[in-house]
Amino acid sequence: MKKIDLHIHTLSTSRDAQFEFSLDCLKNYVSRAALNAIAITNHNIFDIGQFKDIQKAIDIVVFPGIEINLGTGHLLVIGDPSCTENFSVQAEKVAGKISGAGNSISVKELEEIYEDLEQYLLIPHYDKRPALNGDDLSCLSKYISAGEVDSPKKFIRLCKDQSKPTPVIFSDARMSPNLQCLPTKQTFVDCGELTLGALKACLKDKSKVALSENEGNNLFQIFEDGQKLSTGLNVLLGERSSGKTHTLNRISESFGSSDNVKYIEQFSLVQHEAINSEKEFDKGLQRKQSRFAEEYLSGFKIVLDDVIDIDLAINERAIEGYVTDLLKSAEEADKKDSFSQAALFDETLFPLGDDEGLGELIASVRHVIENIGYREIIERHLDRAPLKRLAVELIELLWKKSDDKKIKNFVNEVVRDIKRGLKLETSATQLEDIDLYKICMETKKVERFTQIVSCLYKEQDFPVENIQGFQIVAKKGSFNGALELRSANGNKGTFKDCFSKYGKPYEYLRCLKENENVVPAEAYRLFAKIGFVVLNKNGFEISGGERSEFRLLEEIQDAQNYEILLIDEPESSFDNMFLNSEVNQIIKKISRSTPVVVVTHNSTIGASVGADYLLYAKKDASKDGVVYKLYSGHPTDRILRSACGDQIKNHDVMLNSLEAGYDIYRDRGAKYEAVKE
Amino acid sequence: MKLLKSENGLGYFWKEGGEYCVIDKITKEDLLQLANFTLDQPDVEFDSYSEEDIKPLAHRIIYKNIYEKLEGLITRKATFKDEANRLYLKEYEKYKVEESVLKGNGSKQEVA
Repeated sequence: MKKIDLHIHTLSTSRDAQFEFSLDCLKNYVSRAALNAIAITNHNIFDIGQFKDIQKAIDIVVFPGIEINLGTGHLLVIGDPSCTENFSVQAEKVAGKISGAGNSISVKELEEIYEDLEQYLLIPHYDKRPALNGDDLSCLSKYISAGEVDSPKKFIRLCKDQSKPTPVIFSDARMSPNLQCLPTKQTFVDCGELTLGALKACLKDKSKVALSENEGNNLFQIFEDGQKLSTGLNVLLGERSSGKTHTLNRISESFGSSDNVKYIEQFSLVQHEAINSEKEFDKGLQRKQSRFAEEYLSGFKIVLDDVIDIDLAINERAIEGYVTDLLKSAEEADKKDSFSQAALFDETLFPLGDDEGLGELIASVRHVIENIGYREIIERHLDRAPLKRLAVELIELLWKKSDDKKIKNFVNEVVRDIKRGLKLETSATQLEDIDLYKICMETKKVERFTQIVSCLYKEQDFPVENIQGFQIVAKKGSFNGALELRSANGNKGTFKDCFSKYGKPYEYLRCLKENENVVPAEAYRLFAKIGFVVLNKNGFEISGGERSEFRLLEEIQDAQNYEILLIDEPESSFDNMFLNSEVNQIIKKISRSTPVVVVTHNSTIGASVGADYLLYAKKDASKDGVVYKLYSGHPTDRILRSACGDQIKNHDVMLNSLEAGYDIYRDRGAKYEAVKE
Repeated sequence: MKLLKSENGLGYFWKEGGEYCVIDKITKEDLLQLANFTLDQPDVEFDSYSEEDIKPLAHRIIYKNIYEKLEGLITRKATFKDEANRLYLKEYEKYKVEESVLKGNGSKQEVA
């Protein structure tokens, strides 16, 4: 296996934080990480002079490369070391097009610059920010050999998904004297001679890439000294003050941003004061509740946004005005002059309805015609030819209606002008036009709105989530008083008047609209009360102790959204039965998709969880002072080894860390036996 | 059902309860009811407006105006029905379907 890092920066550009390149640092990195090939990939630039200096100074394969801003993402273009002159010319063209930090080139420009992309190794940021977008990716798919990711979890996910490109993980490091830790992100490839062609062929085969040299994707390097972790479940043992928490912190730091790491610190889930615990718990639950309510009420919000502007009282006044004017106009019939007798004086305007229904019908017919997924079933029942004729006829009708509407609109404008002109010349009453269609439709809207709100008022439970026997249930129902409404409105305003109309949804809505403390866009939250409760296995609301258990399980479950889960001594807060029956199960389950590291002294976890990899932290005193060492190996290994080659017996580690030594373990067993009899 | 008719030289409109009233006594409530009936009921009809059939000038003005308004609604009746039936239908179905789920730890049961 060859170890490669094809994403290294040696020049500070406008896209980097300022740094000074150090050739010594690069040489040190190449040597200590035992790399077989690297690529120099600076942002939108290739410095041929510097590249040649690096080639001379380093005795492994160095590929010329460039990291190009393409669309909204980044793309590594790597060339053949024997064609650096040509590569440099093309890179200059890239640099010419991308001058500022925000600029990028298009796929078309890339193809124009590089002419034959087959001659290069193309690696886009795939599951790594900023990732190449879908369109650019599909345009380049035939040239792409692999996709870059930034964590072992993503690497494995891509490896398992046959529809995705081969993953690679690289350091993306800046080689500066300030580099505090040497990078640990590299990819192993099963490749003979490291030529560009061989590498391209190799990267197209997922079975030829791995996170580790001998352990495939089961292990990945975490520290610069070569220390590895399992991509599954790691258990970290050690005595008090042996550096376990320090090790967890180092692991956390090596994943970069804290957004990537789910770190459940010791005692973090158990507050000393019950009140604080309850508050924290409620806060967490409220966030979930708020997300659920928003999603559940999203449909109602659409309705409310439409109905909130309907004013039935205004509609009623419009009809009243029309009838009054009509009767008055009739009374004055005998007194009409030549102006008010003109036919257009009281002419009504053409109604201009929208053709939304027809538009939707056309879309539905087109959907049936164009559907690919169910084409076979559709064609078993319907002929395409008449469907197409139907679509054509409907579309032609829509065009005709659209033309008619334009003409009617024109006529309406003329009629309006003439009516205005005639009115100026006479004292006779002129009828104001009203839109009865709109008025009747708005009444229907209010009726449907009232029906929907009545449904929302009814009490109902929804199971939201199950976590190892705990069940989160959303409870929906009506508000029971003005104070509850105020609380739902973020404790703003008074709702006494509004609540008195709560039983009549439309009147209640009008009242909310007049309440200056209610933001109209948020009014949808003030109709149905939605709350969360957590039930235990027996269906009762959980107690204080169960609350902490639930929070631990919830936090562990949430880890699937992170790159790694770190848990520091969960046994500090929970009993063995719970750890064994619930925590071990959920940790094991999460570790199938996310690397997990658990620090423990507890045999229920340490010995029973089914770890994939064992780490042991030990503090040694030497003549140079205190030295913290980390040993590791598989749980079934007889010997655990440190990065520098020291060894320790696994059996001793297990018994000392988890059972307080062999004698105690044996005595305890004897006592259990005695009690049993 | 005939909502507007001309008889004995006068114009009449139909009032709920089945009686006909002379057209110059129409109120806003009556007009709203006529509009709703026109759009909701399947077989509404009106006597066409004709100056020969309606003699008083006041009746003619009122009858003609209301007749044209209701005729305008008739031409859009099918569209109205479609539109009214589809009103917030997706949302209504969402909340209505869930109505069949009784309260009680999320267990689903049929409502009789």
